[in-house]
Amino acid sequence: MPDFGSLLIQLFSGFSRAMMLFLLSSGLSLIFGVMNILNFAHATLWLLAAYLTYTFFQIFSRLWGSEALVLMASIVLATGIMFLLGVAIERFLIRRMYARELPEQLLLTFALILIFSDTIKLFWGVENRRIVLPIEPMEVLGSFVNPYFFVIIAAGCGIALGLWFFLHRSRYGKMVRAAVFSRDMVSALGIRIPAIYAGVFGLGVGLAAVTAGIFLPIMPLSLGIDMDLIVQCFAVVVIGGFGSILGTFIASLMVGVVYSYSVLFWPDGALAIIFLILVAVLIWRPWGLFGTEMRY
Amino acid sequence: MDMASSPGNQRRGWFSDLYRGRGLSGPVAIIFLLGFLLVPLLPGQFPIIVGTEILIVGLFALSFNLIYGYMGQISFGHAAFFGLGAYATALLFRYLQMTAGGIGYLGFFLSLIVSLPVAALGSLVVGFFCVRLTGIYFAMLSLGFGELLFYIVFSWYSFTKGDDGIQGLLPPPFFQNPTHYYYFTLAIVVLAVLLLWRITESPFGFTLRMLRDNRNRAAFLGINVRRVMLTNFVIAGTFAGAAGALWGPFQRSVSPHILGWAESGKAIFMTLIGGAYYLAGPMAGSIIYTALNAYVTRFTIFWPLTIGLTILVFVIFIPGGLLSVIDQRIRSLPKKGNTEGNQKAEKAPSPGRGE
Amino acid sequence: MSGTVLEVAGLNKRFGGLHAIQDLDFVLLEGDQTAIIGPNGAGKTTFFNLITGFHRADSGRILFQGNDITNHPSHEIARLGISRAFQISNIFPKLTVLENVRSAVQAKMGKAFDVLGRADRIGTEEAERIIRLCGLNDKQRVAAGELSQGDKKKLELALALSGKPKLLLLDEPTAGMSLEETRETMALVDRLNQELKLTTLFTEHDMSVVFNHARKVTLLHRGQIIVEGPPGDVRASETAQRIYLGEHH
Repeated sequence: MPDFGSLLIQLFSGFSRAMMLFLLSSGLSLIFGVMNILNFAHATLWLLAAYLTYTFFQIFSRLWGSEALVLMASIVLATGIMFLLGVAIERFLIRRMYARELPEQLLLTFALILIFSDTIKLFWGVENRRIVLPIEPMEVLGSFVNPYFFVIIAAGCGIALGLWFFLHRSRYGKMVRAAVFSRDMVSALGIRIPAIYAGVFGLGVGLAAVTAGIFLPIMPLSLGIDMDLIVQCFAVVVIGGFGSILGTFIASLMVGVVYSYSVLFWPDGALAIIFLILVAVLIWRPWGLFGTEMRY
Repeated sequence: MDMASSPGNQRRGWFSDLYRGRGLSGPVAIIFLLGFLLVPLLPGQFPIIVGTEILIVGLFALSFNLIYGYMGQISFGHAAFFGLGAYATALLFRYLQMTAGGIGYLGFFLSLIVSLPVAALGSLVVGFFCVRLTGIYFAMLSLGFGELLFYIVFSWYSFTKGDDGIQGLLPPPFFQNPTHYYYFTLAIVVLAVLLLWRITESPFGFTLRMLRDNRNRAAFLGINVRRVMLTNFVIAGTFAGAAGALWGPFQRSVSPHILGWAESGKAIFMTLIGGAYYLAGPMAGSIIYTALNAYVTRFTIFWPLTIGLTILVFVIFIPGGLLSVIDQRIRSLPKKGNTEGNQKAEKAPSPGRGE
Repeated sequence: MSGTVLEVAGLNKRFGGLHAIQDLDFVLLEGDQTAIIGPNGAGKTTFFNLITGFHRADSGRILFQGNDITNHPSHEIARLGISRAFQISNIFPKLTVLENVRSAVQAKMGKAFDVLGRADRIGTEEAERIIRLCGLNDKQRVAAGELSQGDKKKLELALALSGKPKLLLLDEPTAGMSLEETRETMALVDRLNQELKLTTLFTEHDMSVVFNHARKVTLLHRGQIIVEGPPGDVRASETAQRIYLGEHH
């Protein structure tokens, strides 16, 4: 039986994972809510952003001494690039698929997984990458914990709040939410739907990129972790219900904490537990805890 | 049809009758069969080995297409039934081998056959839950079940030897010869295709198409949608299991990865590339995919990138697959005895309708 | 209760805050040709959806030929003999016209699960008969998705006629049709009603169709029946006029 210290660490790990899942799944949910497209490649783009941020970090580290500054600059730059990439993907690829049937749409984003994960392999090779920030471990309840966890949680909450404000208070955000309800109406009002779609997709990808950057200091990068992550995101949006922020939040906590503890007891099978939860929810209540009940 | 005197004209007459009566898949299937029969004439063993793989994975893709092209749902967990069949065969195979000191012909056939009920049972259980959903939810639930089955096989070391897989599946002497095994596989695949053809051209086959085209309307016409979906799911799973059965002795081993979503993905790619609305589509896709894979992996490790780009191009520009392109070309050819090319002289079904 | 094809008692359906159908009572006798009219949102389509099992009723009963069909699954209700044609053509676009109707005929024959038969040899004569009846004979081999709007509506009707239904529900059968097509379609409906005693219930916005072809008219408004009776009576009723003049555009 692991000691209290490692249980506590796993809890922190679970919370920070939950935060990451929440941010990633929000982007996924947003894209699905507005454009009805399930972006299978969401986690792969997240990983690409992480590798990009890593490279910028390496470059800027030579120029400036302050790691915090370097990290922030890298995140900003990487997010900007990924936002543009997201817009480009929507504009040139996704846009052609709106009139198509669901399986074809799924296949497109599935193909993007293959393309982008191999792109990562092409540019960064197969070795693991990580960045290390010199931070003193903090003592909490008798164990040592990386204080960066608190930075993550704070940043995550900040971003989530920012997203909420954007969607509910800004003009653009309101248009986005209106488009979820009725794209015809929004279009009839003269607002350019294509611009909204491109922006939303870019926003979703940008959100993933920021998330990647924030988590970079505590997460070693390796090929293939995007697949684990996208499955967890699916579990989150299914459990929480598409379109419910509260649902996404609670589901992220569940999945994050469950996964962290599962890794402790059954490393190889932690993902299996997530699949089990996913299957159970889809059988019992496919619209999730907070989604609207559907006829199915 | 104009059956002119020369043999060339006669063959074309019979050919276009076949085409007009049965759609593109008829002639394509015959061409494929001829091709497959002639493969062993090529030098070396490599073509035979590749050919066997094309046939087995092609059968798997054909089974997948029952759910996708004919019924309109996408299943990301179909490989689990391929794997269940493969493991059922492998386990019985090893058991008979160890208790008898070697595998006899009867034991060999029994091992192959046991894959069918096991895969059928697996798809019955999984399908029972999946058919209550459609679209994205169906896709995700099928993925979930597929991965759970993978993890069960992967983790249950005492029974399945987990990641080590099951080795030593050496068939009886006659079938150790690759050419013999190849023709054996071909025979089984031909039988399976004939069955699939019968099924897809039966009233049940059209019920499937109704579910694909308009699920709700089908219900209003008196069709028990869930029961049809479940029946089809089990049929598809059983055929997948049959393909899996052939895989073990072919590779002399089985390992858990054949149950995973990456294998399911293969079937999806093949069906997309070949053409989902044609019976012969997935087999065409298998030929192209396997050949492409064998060729590309000689030059580069970036096979996922290659296949990803290929999928992208096909999904956007050629969603009906290669056979749909051929079909459209043929339909726009001028008919014999008619100087102006005519497209829909007899109100032929439009391109993309398939068959 | 012989002669009563459909009996609805105390039917209720709410969608969230909207009380779409309120304590509805309704009777259809065998051979009736009745129109349901009412402004948009009156609940006509919801009513059809409840009868055919697409929505679950909150309370009330629906009896078809004496059998309780309340909240039964759609396919069971269809097998019992209730057929429905939809307002927006609800056909099978990738199948040809012949395949559309033939498959529907096969389904009604109970052949939906026949795995080994030959689809092109079962039910073809019946399918062709229905296709001829609906005026689509020269379009048999056209993919349904390629048909014109008017032809799609004809196919819609053809699908509803497959399987010799005992009750036919038509949701705005002439919507989007030309004058000529309207005339043809309603003449067919009349014929089916008179020759086969096919009980027909249809919704319509086109009042000339209603008054020329319905023998009974029911006015639905906000989920309740306001007026019922022969067309002349309903037309003359002040309540009806108020509803239509007040809310009709």
